[in-house]
Amino acid sequence: MSLKLTRTPRTAVLGLCLALLAGLLSGCTGDSGKETIRFTFSKREAIGFMTKLVADYNASQDSTEVILDTSGVDVVSASFVRGNPPDIALANYNMETARFVQRGALSDLSGTQAATRVRKDLQPLMDQYGSYPDRTSALPYSVMASSVIYNKEIFAAHGIEVPETWSELLAACDALKAAGVTPFYATWKDDWTVAQGWFDYSVGGQLDTLDFFDKLAEAGTDVGPDSPASFQKDFEQPVEKMLKLAGTYVNKDAASRGYGDGNLAFSQGKAAMYLQGPWAFSEIAKTAPDLQLGTFPLPMTENPEDLRVRVNVDLAAWIPEESKHKEAARAFLEYLYQPEIIEAYNKSQLGFTPTTDADAAPDPRIEGMVEYYDKGSVYQGPSVLVPRTIPIMNYTQALVLGADPAATFRTLDADWARLAFRQ
Amino acid sequence: MTTPSTLTAEELHRTEPVPAGSGRRRPGIKVERVNWPGTIILVLCAVTVLLPLYVTVSMALKTQGQAVDGNAFSFPAPFSIDGFVQAWTLTNFPVGAAMSLLVTAGTVVATIVLAAFASYAIVRNWERRLFRYSFYYLLAAMFIPFPVVALPQIQMTGRLGLDNPLGVILLATMFQLSFSVLLFTAFLRSIPMELEESARIDGATTWQTFWQLIFPLLAPMSATVGIFAFLYAWNDFMMPSLIISDPALQTLPVRQNLFQTQFSNNYHVSFASYLMAMAPAIVAYLFTQRWVMAGVTQGAVKG
Repeated sequence: MSLKLTRTPRTAVLGLCLALLAGLLSGCTGDSGKETIRFTFSKREAIGFMTKLVADYNASQDSTEVILDTSGVDVVSASFVRGNPPDIALANYNMETARFVQRGALSDLSGTQAATRVRKDLQPLMDQYGSYPDRTSALPYSVMASSVIYNKEIFAAHGIEVPETWSELLAACDALKAAGVTPFYATWKDDWTVAQGWFDYSVGGQLDTLDFFDKLAEAGTDVGPDSPASFQKDFEQPVEKMLKLAGTYVNKDAASRGYGDGNLAFSQGKAAMYLQGPWAFSEIAKTAPDLQLGTFPLPMTENPEDLRVRVNVDLAAWIPEESKHKEAARAFLEYLYQPEIIEAYNKSQLGFTPTTDADAAPDPRIEGMVEYYDKGSVYQGPSVLVPRTIPIMNYTQALVLGADPAATFRTLDADWARLAFRQ
Repeated sequence: MTTPSTLTAEELHRTEPVPAGSGRRRPGIKVERVNWPGTIILVLCAVTVLLPLYVTVSMALKTQGQAVDGNAFSFPAPFSIDGFVQAWTLTNFPVGAAMSLLVTAGTVVATIVLAAFASYAIVRNWERRLFRYSFYYLLAAMFIPFPVVALPQIQMTGRLGLDNPLGVILLATMFQLSFSVLLFTAFLRSIPMELEESARIDGATTWQTFWQLIFPLLAPMSATVGIFAFLYAWNDFMMPSLIISDPALQTLPVRQNLFQTQFSNNYHVSFASYLMAMAPAIVAYLFTQRWVMAGVTQGAVKG
């Protein structure tokens, strides 16, 4: 074996390495002349919409080049750790994002045009997750309202009106059951469907969640049977009602059905009602595009005045403090909040536009919730207001599968107190 | 998951004729007996591989409506390549595949070369404490999974400008190194010292001895190490997703993550995309299965 023979592969390897390096470096240099901003967008269903929007924006002006980053939430957290967060983001507003808010990692947006147009009465929804003093850290972009989805065709076929009180609801369920129709389709295999639908609608329909969680935060480590608010005291009654519905009026195989199964079954008319948010509509439409669907808030009391819908800030806009292109990012933010754009977006995703000048011309499928959203009869689901360290979704799943409510809520109270102690 | 079970099945089939000719067979019986229980077990094993593969292929060719209708085993009707088209554009497949290829090739090459270097040095200097301890030190990395050290590594790669595929190559190599060194050292011990001495007598330097004598002898083990490094680097999701900061430089598995969310299923697009990502590994395996198998058992026997 001569030296020459081995030289060749060695040179080849070296050459390959150099080529790789060159490729990497060339990847780093962007278009010269334009300021590049990175835009993180976490809602995967709407990537098509956003891709087009970003392309339009890039074509409309010469100073900024927006790059759409769809790689998701974990990547964003990593980028904060690394010190190169995205320049602007439209992301689901939840306890995770709230950490960035509370630590002051997001810049103040109060000076923007967009901030002045956001509905003021939605601010509590944002603040519930925490805030940073004297800053508007994030602006709501899309609000999702969710309540009971019902099959209009089944309701009409059995002459059932949309119930407005608890007893009307039970009557409707009994009538459906007597006619051999499953009233509710439940998908308890996926714990989040129990938490966001069954649990949140029942508790939120009966309890003032804002007030409850304020009191709970105040009590902190003292949360327990004697504190002014506690899970075991305040949640017992709503959950009892939830269990009444869950025990009598659902499909027999609920425990083994997941979200995907639920969408399919509901699209095939296997049940009259479905406790899901508007995100389920597009999934149901995959197999039944023409099904007549509507929504109504789950009545939990005897007073129609108490009817409320669950809302969550599906997307909020924020610009990190560490971004080096804040001005360009703000300009893009204003573009995103232009009435025709923000409304077109929300229309496409069946969301509600959180600006004061928004035109209410919603899809018939979410029409049933407009009235409540407009007059502010809304609440945030209790399951999203509990920090992720407490496995609330699993607890709610255990409840519908037969766990003892009293014991579960004692555990929940203890968890809350322990977490408050740690912080 | 796919490869090992096929391997066992095929390996067993392949070795079957060997005892027949080796004289261990009883002389009187001429008709080859079928081992029914064994066959049934092997068929079941094969089904566990073929069934998911069938679902993957058929799902990829379905329309959106058919993909979510709850019948995973149904035959695609009508055939639709919509899934492939969407997957191709959504992941920007050529770029993603190129990045995956780059990371994988880099990791494989770096792992083989570095692990061979380290193992050679360690084995030939085993009596010295420094080398012995450095062996244990390298092995210790086997006990540290990436998630445990993710946070400092994200910070460090960020500061050093390594938040790109190059950083992933470095880290992936680092994580592969311990296992590869273990394999190489075991193999190296079986290479007689006399071979090396003869090269020395002919005047070869250490460098020459390694490249011209030892490294070629290590080839089967290098193949094994390379295969493991390939599988790891090609399939890894978490490390690239956290380390690479520019989405344009992201690898395929991370790009594919966008098909499946809590709220929506895009089975036909996801499966089309998975199929495209699996293709290189499957093709590579079809052509190299002989060496793969030989390589995998290599480590077992010599260890």
